[in-house]
Amino acid sequence: MSGSNRLAGLKARPKDTTVEEVRRVDEVGEARGCVDRSPRKKPVRKPSPRTHQLHPKVLPNIGEAISAEAESLGITQGQLVEQMWSAYEANILNKDKKEGI
Amino acid sequence: MPVIVMASPKGGGGKSTCAVLLASEFARMGADVTVLDCDPNKSLTRWASHGLPTGVVLKSDIGRSEIVPTIRSADGDGKIVIVDLEGVASQLVSRAISQADLVIVPMQPTALDAEIGSEALALVKEEEEALGRTIRHAVVLTKTSAAVKSRVQKELEGQLSGAGIDMIEPSLVARAAFSEIFAYGGDLTAMMNDPDMVTGGKVDKALINARAFTEAVYERLK
Repeated sequence: MSGSNRLAGLKARPKDTTVEEVRRVDEVGEARGCVDRSPRKKPVRKPSPRTHQLHPKVLPNIGEAISAEAESLGITQGQLVEQMWSAYEANILNKDKKEGI
Repeated sequence: MPVIVMASPKGGGGKSTCAVLLASEFARMGADVTVLDCDPNKSLTRWASHGLPTGVVLKSDIGRSEIVPTIRSADGDGKIVIVDLEGVASQLVSRAISQADLVIVPMQPTALDAEIGSEALALVKEEEEALGRTIRHAVVLTKTSAAVKSRVQKELEGQLSGAGIDMIEPSLVARAAFSEIFAYGGDLTAMMNDPDMVTGGKVDKALINARAFTEAVYERLK
């Protein structure tokens, strides 16, 4: 058995691979216990866009109050600082508008 | 060119051995062979790590969602695709079967192998009905005795033939070279010509067996 000319006679049948056909194949397989056995990827937390780190030192009672407020709101201390910053900016803008700057 | 799929939910039936023998023999005939290792045990990847025969390319780590596009991308003029599947029932298996021009179900001549292997045959039949086209399939007995045909093997052959199942002849005999090829890589011809490769068996007999088996598969692909 040798010679690639023999192999030239080999043919592949046309096979449709539509989504519908794959779905039917999956249904037939599932009935026979052929389920998805792909290894599940380990769940990983998405990287946070909050990459900048502040290092503020505050008075203990202020620090405890910020920590308790963030916890009660269900957000991180960083998110609370962001909200405080937004409020600060809005306050500055209002102040500037009032003063006509 | 044809897509040949090795399927059986039973592990250790000879799927990887059949894939290696067919890949190396078809490559020797001049075909570009792409072997898809879909078995988590990565038997073919281990074989390939010791060296692939000329004309054989291996792709591994193929999952359920990649199997159909991978087979389609590997298929082409002058190319033969051989898919070695995992020994379980999975959607990857059922999807690969849907892309086959020939499904080979290897089974050892034991009642257990026959019972579990028949699950693969039933799956092929049901896919044929669902898709409205025939998927050629055949059984090859593996690890058979070179000396005598056991009573169980005779009964099994009779039952399968009686059920209209295509039986590939010759069966693959239990040969040390068929196991050792995974340790040495390459093909049986290289193994026979290299005195450093010690198999403890008759490589020439194994080669004759592998070529006759490949010829029988070739006849089914025409």
